[in-house]
Amino acid sequence: MTLTIENLRIAAAGAVLVRDVSLTLEPYRTVTILGETGSGKTLVAEAAMGTVAPELAVSGRIADGGEISDAADQGARRGAWGRRIAMLPQEPWVSLDPTMRSLAQVAEGHRFVRGLGPGPARRQARADLASLNLAAGDDRYPHQLSGGMAQRVAFASARAGGAPITLADEPTKGLDATMRDAVVALLRKAVEEGGSLLCITHDIAVAKALGGEIIVMLKGEIVERGDADTVLVAPSHPYTRRLVAAAPENWPTATATATASVPGDVVLEGTELAVSRNGRRLFSDLDLAVRAGEWIGVTGPSGCGKTTLGNVLLGLMPPASGRVRRRAGVASTRFQKLYQDPVATFSRHVSLRTALAETTARHRVSFDDVMTLLERLRVPVALLDRRPDQVSGGELQRVSLARVLVAKPIFLFADEPTSRLDPITQQETMDVMREVTRERGCGTLLVTHDRTMAERITERRITLGSDLA
Amino acid sequence: MGRLVAILGQRLVQAVTVAFVVSLLCFALAQLLPGDQALQIAQRRYGDDRVTTAAAEAVRAELGLERPLALQLIDWMGRTVSGDLGRSLVSGAPVWEEIRDQLGATLALAGAALGLALLLGPVFGALAGLRPGGLADRAGMAAAAAFRAVPNFVVGLLLMVGCTVLFGWLPVGDSRGWLSLLLPALTLGLGLAATSARIARDGVVAALRSPFFAFARMKGLSRAEAILRHVPRNAAVPLIAYLAVSFAFLIEGVVVVEEIFAWPGIGHALTHAIEGRDVPMIQGTALMLSLLLVLLNALTDLALLLVDPRRRA
Repeated sequence: MTLTIENLRIAAAGAVLVRDVSLTLEPYRTVTILGETGSGKTLVAEAAMGTVAPELAVSGRIADGGEISDAADQGARRGAWGRRIAMLPQEPWVSLDPTMRSLAQVAEGHRFVRGLGPGPARRQARADLASLNLAAGDDRYPHQLSGGMAQRVAFASARAGGAPITLADEPTKGLDATMRDAVVALLRKAVEEGGSLLCITHDIAVAKALGGEIIVMLKGEIVERGDADTVLVAPSHPYTRRLVAAAPENWPTATATATASVPGDVVLEGTELAVSRNGRRLFSDLDLAVRAGEWIGVTGPSGCGKTTLGNVLLGLMPPASGRVRRRAGVASTRFQKLYQDPVATFSRHVSLRTALAETTARHRVSFDDVMTLLERLRVPVALLDRRPDQVSGGELQRVSLARVLVAKPIFLFADEPTSRLDPITQQETMDVMREVTRERGCGTLLVTHDRTMAERITERRITLGSDLA
Repeated sequence: MGRLVAILGQRLVQAVTVAFVVSLLCFALAQLLPGDQALQIAQRRYGDDRVTTAAAEAVRAELGLERPLALQLIDWMGRTVSGDLGRSLVSGAPVWEEIRDQLGATLALAGAALGLALLLGPVFGALAGLRPGGLADRAGMAAAAAFRAVPNFVVGLLLMVGCTVLFGWLPVGDSRGWLSLLLPALTLGLGLAATSARIARDGVVAALRSPFFAFARMKGLSRAEAILRHVPRNAAVPLIAYLAVSFAFLIEGVVVVEEIFAWPGIGHALTHAIEGRDVPMIQGTALMLSLLLVLLNALTDLALLLVDPRRRA
């Protein structure tokens, strides 16, 4: 079955969000749409499913199999759900019904969409789960599944209706490398079995692993398209070139740039640290000294205690055993933390200027210091009068970095500070963070699930999670 | 299974603690009531005009009311632990015998009220929740707010007046079997139905807006199929949790409603025991009502365990 989108256009009052997008997806083929937040790539997927917000005007034609429909008639797309197009949920854990066992959630596709009887539907669901090495998960509830298992249950239930076309919008968002590879393997399996895949992502590594046709979108338009081997290896459009260069594997390595700066004195030291959660030992016997100006990477799978380590070092929680020594005679406010989700760390109701003014008042520094920092971090001054939800994620993360730097930290714990940003913004943010922290002799512990990125920008790395079976 | 034992164990400990505290409180409050205890009891026994100081003194001596308070309390507690609730100071009959029949009447009333609330609340709540902002939602929630705001003695009186005017019959006492149960049960149940409708409505709306409902639709299930399979259980979780809290309201309402409708239940008995300074009766009835509350809470725990697998871990 072939999915065709012709001349898709989506507009809001006064702005065109998607312009002139056409694509054809054939069996055994993959099309990946690459682009940053706001490029309109998710809207294309929503148009294919007929779930574009009703206040937006949609036009164009969408066809799958023999069914051709006007893209404006979104209700007409409902017949495709589960039958012709399977939509993978972004966050499988919350997309599964918490009160229903895995097997039943897969079986309902076979039963209600394909019309099998209850018995055969369950047998088929059991076979689906077994083929994903999940037989043991049959009678478990979602809260008993690991992230990876939930991912596979969601995959099996989305496809149980027998849809040949799979649609995946950011299927690897926030996943560590191991989980990401597992998801990519699932998607490839769907294609190898004769299906076709439309994948939307900003992760170059995922696009590369999936292969097929790449469509690069920028500000609602397609700026480049072609075979993955061509587009990702020899991009022609300047934006694509920046996008590919921004993939962590293409960053210059830290050792090359870091030889110039010699790490300074120890600012913080942990000896024989051990951390437990719910009675389970996450890691033990960890020795770590952070020196002024150096960057240390902390990597490891989800739940291995990366964030907990930072909280222990900052003194926000006690270790299960071992001790933490922070440099004597230094105010505790000079040990700072940069959070993963900047939006959550700002009050939604006040302007950024007010938020920053409160911080400078608290640390008794002049507001000019912040202005200097913001300039250094390339944050336009005009943004200060907006509220946190009115600026982009990358801008807000740089504002929160400025806010943290006001306290003149000698140690910074950066907890996945760029994981929600698209690659170009991620690289820009990381670059400027590194420059400023080095300049100011701030020792930085960077938590990331992206091992490649850690290898590129940190001098040393700690891997947690080896204690976990 | 381990979870089940843990919950029942917790509730058992709670029952013992509640029993202890309630009897202590009842005893203390009975002492604080104005007037001479022996005189009040004598009045109850012999009637207002025939009571004399001598009769009061006789009562005092007979019941050991001249003994120190601590001694009376310890005495009562010792007997309670061995399952003996003592004898009514007024009638002289064992408290348990007095309460036994009344407890049945109260259970019938509370059961009927709960049944009505569970019949009306979730049905209207679900109807409102399926179309948020629709006519059923707005009308239903306005009615729910009204019923929740009006105290149940007002509802009871209004129902009584209505019944008398329409049918020329005043439903008090249990003279007419289940028919006379209907009005007090409605009085007690409407308030509960109103709040549970509200909770059920919010539960349904939350389930309809959840990512798992959206995903069920994307899998290809029709709206009706997705609603039937994914909404009821998920909406039931907050509803049951709420019911656990609202049982206190139910028990409290029993006392008021029984008094209004002269329903021969335990709440009615409690009011009379207080008027008569009948301490063992007060303690016995209050104890039964508190244990009833603990029992109901244990039952909701079990229901939650059944509905929500996350609690079984």
